[in-house]
Amino acid sequence: MRSPSRRGLIAVVATVVVLAPIGFFWQRSLIPNDLSPMTMGYADYGGGPAAAHHGTDVSRLTGPADQKPDVAVDLVAREERFDIPGRGPMDGYTLNHTSPGPRIVAKQGDLVQVTLRNENVAEGITLHWHGVDVPNAEDGVAGVTQDAIPLGKSYVYRFVAKDAGTYWYHSHQVSHEQVQKGLYGVLIVQPSATDVIAAVHTYDKVRTVNGEYGERRVQAPGPIARVRLINTDNGPMAVWVDGAPYKVVAVDGTEVNAPTEVSGKAVLVTAGGRVDLEIPTAKAVRIGLGGGPTTLVIGDGDAPAGTEPRDRVDLLKYGTPKPIGFDPAKATRVFRYDIGRRIGFFDGKPGLWWTINGHQYPDVPMFVVSEGDIVRMTIKNSSGQVHPMHLHGHHVVVLSRDGVRATGSPWRTDSLNVEDKETYEVAFVADNPGIWMDHCHNLPHAAQGLVTHLMYTGVTTNHHLGGTPNNQPE
Amino acid sequence: MRSVYRALAGLIAIGVIVQAMAIALAWFTVIKDVDGGLVFDKNSDANVGHMIHTIVGSGIIPLLAILLLIVSFFAKVDGGVKWALYVFGLVVLQFGLAVLSFGASAVGALHGLNAFALLAVAAMAARRAATQPETTAAAASTI
Repeated sequence: MRSPSRRGLIAVVATVVVLAPIGFFWQRSLIPNDLSPMTMGYADYGGGPAAAHHGTDVSRLTGPADQKPDVAVDLVAREERFDIPGRGPMDGYTLNHTSPGPRIVAKQGDLVQVTLRNENVAEGITLHWHGVDVPNAEDGVAGVTQDAIPLGKSYVYRFVAKDAGTYWYHSHQVSHEQVQKGLYGVLIVQPSATDVIAAVHTYDKVRTVNGEYGERRVQAPGPIARVRLINTDNGPMAVWVDGAPYKVVAVDGTEVNAPTEVSGKAVLVTAGGRVDLEIPTAKAVRIGLGGGPTTLVIGDGDAPAGTEPRDRVDLLKYGTPKPIGFDPAKATRVFRYDIGRRIGFFDGKPGLWWTINGHQYPDVPMFVVSEGDIVRMTIKNSSGQVHPMHLHGHHVVVLSRDGVRATGSPWRTDSLNVEDKETYEVAFVADNPGIWMDHCHNLPHAAQGLVTHLMYTGVTTNHHLGGTPNNQPE
Repeated sequence: MRSVYRALAGLIAIGVIVQAMAIALAWFTVIKDVDGGLVFDKNSDANVGHMIHTIVGSGIIPLLAILLLIVSFFAKVDGGVKWALYVFGLVVLQFGLAVLSFGASAVGALHGLNAFALLAVAAMAARRAATQPETTAAAASTI
């Protein structure tokens, strides 16, 4: 028999052996409440020169300051109950008492000015112009390009709508909650007379198109409609057309070169992504929106109702190639963005958490570039789930998927659907200085740390994640 | 300490039962929601059943298993450390099976089976602390 004191000592030592590693990993996973994007993670120079970040503050990278705006919009954000036609009341967030918020329409080259006021959203708000390559200070990311707009305060966004196309806007403060509950809207640059908008959003399991539930109908705008599909959700959405063939005429705001007619196939709209279809509407057609009871019918009379086709349009091969305007072979920085998942703690919570290049947020690689760099990035997903990868302020060109080179129209995207076990190689020109988020647009994933930044040398930000404004971009 | 050991082991067993109830609640809720015109896909938040299953499974039961192990070092339960390690090992296995099941759903069947093993072992650990007097005390009383 061991003496009681000896036995007690062994028990204490055994307790320490059990608790020490758990405590170590738990403590290490805690995220500081006040974190500068300038000091978080570690710099990844992608084989280019290392350089310091002192220089221009993001607050100086604004749109034209003094010019008179061509489009001026006032938006007021509120937390309140609103109505989903066809379904009923929903608690969430509105802009000017509606969700989605007012449609913002501009001509190409217009100066757009949006004054956003926070009436009663306690955590604060921002607006991000998804897919629009705005100057950095207008990007609307709490804690990176601005502080969250507190109760009763306003913020003015100004940018030139230089690229025609289909875009959307949404809050980038506590976005995994605020976007899902309604703080979003549609932005169209250079509308056409044949436009039909189809912004799809799922509020707490209620799928809607343009904020309405069930079979929704619109008049045919002419013999051919340009349907602007916007996926404002967290998951990919397969879209198909019952009753007519279609052409994919634009992806993420970029026109497809020489689109060909498609029938019997679905097209995937990445979470956060946009796809424009051209559909003959002499007879009524139905657009299937990811399944479920909500569909959009264009035209009068009965429209056929089908199911999701198994085949999908492959944008890697769709359309005809043309020059992309730069040579990816001359890349001056080459990065890898490996998405993984591992067991452990995230901010003290046990579970399965995302990693970037084997590191967990906030200890993730910061991709450093200089203005004028040609950048190649390999995005590899071995995390077990699909991730819609969204780089702010830039459009990337897809070079290859799983080693197969792109042979279609240049596939220029800001929201790329990377399935599990897929590897995409993309390239872009670093032509928009700033501190830009590069994250998964399944917003709960982003809130779980699938976030990093593209940082330009010579640019700094004074904003902090957390801190007094309580900036929580995800 | 014996009663703490017994209580912790008992709570783990109850936790397993709660898990079975929660996961049934979760998926019947999904079926009812979809019948009612809602969607269940990547855009759907976890319902209350999923939430309970996640919190109890990745938080509460692992925490109880660690506490049971620590208490077993101090509590004079015959074979108490051994049984606490069995419980701990089965909890780790259960978590690992859940992780694998996301990729290979057939493994989920083993996750369900292992739950019964954990329930049985936790209940047996609790019984040991309840019925067996402390060996030292037992030895002293028979002299």
